[in-house]
Amino acid sequence: MAAIFNLNSHAPYISWHFIQLSVPNVIVIVLMLIVFVAAILLPFPGSGQSGGRS
Amino acid sequence: MSASPSERSWTVGLRKRAVAALPPEKLLPDGQPRFVASWIYVFGVLTLAALAALILSGCILALKGPTWWHDNSIGHFFNSIHLWSVEMFFFFMIVHLWGKYWMAAWRGGRYSLWLTGGITFLVAVPCALTGYVSQQNFDAQWISTQAKDAMNSIGIGSFFNLMNFGQMYSYHVLLLPIAVTALVVAHVLMVRHHGVVPPFELEDKLKAARAGNSSEASS
Repeated sequence: MAAIFNLNSHAPYISWHFIQLSVPNVIVIVLMLIVFVAAILLPFPGSGQSGGRS
Repeated sequence: MSASPSERSWTVGLRKRAVAALPPEKLLPDGQPRFVASWIYVFGVLTLAALAALILSGCILALKGPTWWHDNSIGHFFNSIHLWSVEMFFFFMIVHLWGKYWMAAWRGGRYSLWLTGGITFLVAVPCALTGYVSQQNFDAQWISTQAKDAMNSIGIGSFFNLMNFGQMYSYHVLLLPIAVTALVVAHVLMVRHHGVVPPFELEDKLKAARAGNSSEASS
């Protein structure tokens, strides 16, 4: 990973008015959003079968 | 007629209250409601799994001391486990929080659940940040010298001195982990007591069914 990303300098930042976010943090936030949407949309194994309590 | 000695005992009283609030079949259920079969419901238990990995790796690091990971490959391995566990802990906790927010998980008298979850997040943040200043390296020095100004600017620098390694280390390995674990245990027990919050549509149907039952009983 260190060969792909330069870890010997500070992270690049995204600036928008008073909001400043490092690119690694933006990547984590985007990943959380993707996982959140996927968790809602993807079917859960066995969710179509009967069983459990209603 | 006076109560028998065993009925006056505080241990008996506590046991009766605990069993009434959380009978064994509710504390360790053998099934979950059908609506729980969704990926959005797994992030709470993923957060718990990350917390367990955090505590275990943290215990191993604490056994060997805060400088062990600098000069030992096994120490470096466990330090990495500890770092990625906390990354996963916050990742899963935030997705769990988003899911519960959009479900309005405080419904049905579950406000204490929402409250303990929110406070756990707020306590977990300084628990993680005190770890950054306990690294015993230049990164920790830089963070502590910068962050002390933030503490001083809000008037708590004399209580929470980031330049005091012993204090920060004690907060990180003892006080704050105990607080986070106690809050998480309380949170999970409340989930078991109240049950998982039902979807909006199901809650409306349950209310209508209850209203129907009560009107039938009165007629």
